[in-house]
Amino acid sequence: MAALLDFARIVGERNTITAPSELRTYECDGLAGFRVRPAVVVLPETTAQVAEAVKLARMLGLPIVPRGAGTGLSGGALPTEGCVVIGLSRMTKILGVDLENRRMRVQPGVINLDISRHLAPLGYYYAPDPSSQSVCTIGGNVAENSGGAHCLKYGFTVNHAVGATIVTSDGEIVTIGEQTGEPDALGYDLMGVFVGSEGLLGIVTEVVVKVLRRPQATRTIFATFPSTDEASNAVSSIIASGIVPAAIEMMDRLAIEAIVAATRVDWPLDVGAALLMDVDGMSAEVEHTAEAALAIMRAAGAIEMRTPRDELERELMWKGRKAAFAAMGRISPNYYVQDGVIPRKDVAAVLREIARLGAEAGLRVANVFHAGDGNLHPLVLYDGRVAGEEAKAEHVGGEILRVCLRYGGSVTGEHGVGHDKACYLGEQFSDDDLATMKLVRAAFDPHGILNPEKVFPTPRLCGDKPGVYVGHPIELSGQAGRG
Amino acid sequence: MIVAGVEPRAVVEPHGVAELAACVAALYASDSSFAFAGGGTELELGNAPHSIDTQVKVTGCDAVIEYAPQDQTITVEAGLTLAAVNAVLANEGQFLAIDAAEPERTTIGGAIATNLYGGRRLRYGSVKDTIVGIEIVRPDGTRARGGGKVVKNVAGFDMPKLMVGSLGTLGAIAAATFRVHPVAERRAALEYADVTVEQMMHVGEELVREALVPAAVIGFARCESGRYDCRVAFEGFGRGVEQQMDTAKEIASRLGLTAGAHESGAGASIDERERAVRRTAPWRLTLSARPSVLARFLHTAPFPNGARHVVYPLLGAAFVGADALGADDVARWRGLLEGGSVLVTALPQSARAAVDVWGEPPAGALAIMRRLKQNFDPKGLCNAGRFVGGL
Repeated sequence: MAALLDFARIVGERNTITAPSELRTYECDGLAGFRVRPAVVVLPETTAQVAEAVKLARMLGLPIVPRGAGTGLSGGALPTEGCVVIGLSRMTKILGVDLENRRMRVQPGVINLDISRHLAPLGYYYAPDPSSQSVCTIGGNVAENSGGAHCLKYGFTVNHAVGATIVTSDGEIVTIGEQTGEPDALGYDLMGVFVGSEGLLGIVTEVVVKVLRRPQATRTIFATFPSTDEASNAVSSIIASGIVPAAIEMMDRLAIEAIVAATRVDWPLDVGAALLMDVDGMSAEVEHTAEAALAIMRAAGAIEMRTPRDELERELMWKGRKAAFAAMGRISPNYYVQDGVIPRKDVAAVLREIARLGAEAGLRVANVFHAGDGNLHPLVLYDGRVAGEEAKAEHVGGEILRVCLRYGGSVTGEHGVGHDKACYLGEQFSDDDLATMKLVRAAFDPHGILNPEKVFPTPRLCGDKPGVYVGHPIELSGQAGRG
Repeated sequence: MIVAGVEPRAVVEPHGVAELAACVAALYASDSSFAFAGGGTELELGNAPHSIDTQVKVTGCDAVIEYAPQDQTITVEAGLTLAAVNAVLANEGQFLAIDAAEPERTTIGGAIATNLYGGRRLRYGSVKDTIVGIEIVRPDGTRARGGGKVVKNVAGFDMPKLMVGSLGTLGAIAAATFRVHPVAERRAALEYADVTVEQMMHVGEELVREALVPAAVIGFARCESGRYDCRVAFEGFGRGVEQQMDTAKEIASRLGLTAGAHESGAGASIDERERAVRRTAPWRLTLSARPSVLARFLHTAPFPNGARHVVYPLLGAAFVGADALGADDVARWRGLLEGGSVLVTALPQSARAAVDVWGEPPAGALAIMRRLKQNFDPKGLCNAGRFVGGL
């Protein structure tokens, strides 16, 4: 305990948490099913404090778990037994805006949406828009390579967060990637591999992001379909026509029901699926692509198509979509969020397989997802009060991931591997693939003290749940898509 | 093929990735040094490697592994040329957005290893923004994959990004998956003739302010006059491109510039003027800095007589070609390009000893890079010495 109080000398007493009642807040992140109490939480306000805290943790032999806002859905910020959590939520300064070179430098605790809010009066914005963007931090986005609805056209965090200051496991302060808006830093693309490394390679203390000019025009289209089959075909045809929607999101019947119950949208309940799509760009192009997309939707069997009357209605529609996960509470006591990716052309087939898995387990599965890039978010609904339902839901979730792999996809498109999916990573990648990634980890963190027991499968981790993680026949036969 | 002045003692060309991996494993096991080669378009890039007992040509790995037009992804072996890949994609009205001066020679592996880009990087991004999956053969012969064949994927570390620009020093790039794009319905270009750097930057600012989405903005320096012909290219649906062309013309009249449509310039990704700078001069350099710093640098007209250059003003990159330069020129430019870099991508053999072709990365980052190289290639056999910091 005395040793732990040394952290207070670095970050101040008010930024050091050791009281059990206060530590409880940090026991988990958005994946609330797992809880581990950290030994201490420190909330530094400067890069130097982060560096000193890391050095002290190393001296004390404590594992380090970095944390942003704690909104992650894969347990990436789940504490390890006896660890120090380094929370970046008090590093909230905007360090500089350079519109001439379209770059901005921020501390990691800055909220994603606050970047765009800061830029809005200037006519600029930051593109990646995870649904949690009003609460998640840019540091967390860098760790997770966060996506969002509009990544289809504009790319992910890795395409927009181009440079950083990081603190390594040695407590060294290192700059990686582009620092001022120059294209490409010298040498290996350390920033490219750092983004999405889930806190295993270092702690980000400053981020350089690209900022974009707000498009001249945006058109939003909401369309309903008899089933997800027609909606999926519409998505494929729109993209095949050369249109690159800014976003194209699908919601199935259950998801629509939940969103309508939870928000003020007036969407019809008697449809099988709905698409919410944005096209943006120059006004003439937007007009053209919106007309073309409407024609394609009509041909694909759309029941109703509408465009919002005004910006207010547009915002409401998008709020509805972004509130979808939370809305599940209206139709089910509990739900299990999944995040898998499949090739876009297989969306309809995979949705049918997911429905079958749910039916076999006697559980409902709602789907609300980024249809344009095949990033599914099946929500397995269950009642935690009923014995065995939670386990069943988890099982269905796991089987859904295996379906994604069978179609050549991925076990995570944007939520990360974290604690939750570490054991599935071994089904997506071979031992040699993972060993190679560990060479990268060892170059950044030779001591292995940063966010241990995350991302990579370990016997201890994967032995936790016997039965769930055994080698799948598809994996064993070599059919599981890893390419 | 000679690599940065070093002649390989032997050359092998394995067929297929399995043979490539076996070949690399055998070389590594026998403590024999090796380096990879693709189409041989960038052999002058980098330091002279310590030694090359065997040059391993990757051109024998040339299969299209999977093309999914509906998913707009293609997985190919690294020895295929960009032209060959684009020929396959053209059948479905798609293309891979990596501009090359010699697409008939440049291989996929070479494009990744050298982080190749042209003017359309402005619209489509660099290799880093296009690649979604990779298979490498590590220096010890181990085959390893990262990323995948879907466009969105955060499972595991982003190995494809790490390999971009790694110049074959962490192993061979054996295969890769890319996101591809639909070929635009219409392309058009406007050329602002005989403008100064300041005017070119004003054009750039106006393009951004009007929220135009140019595919490329390229300034071709006129001989020794400090003036440029600045081409702005657009790609997209017909009506959108017309609107952008009209707005770009308005910008010209607002700024008092002469601008004319330049139909031939709309198609070629890297045209003859640019090729002359990027391919044929004895000294070739890539300058990068934030756009405002690069513009100030160009304003000082720092290049000696006879040097030619092409600039991407909105990206912050310039390519210089010259007959004669010295180490002091390179050092001076590095000093002026605050926060940027000067890569000497080709130079006469006689000048190699005096010139640091890469420049110095930040010390902390270099330490991580050293450990990366050490971890991937503990014996130091794979293209060792050629990369940044002598890695």
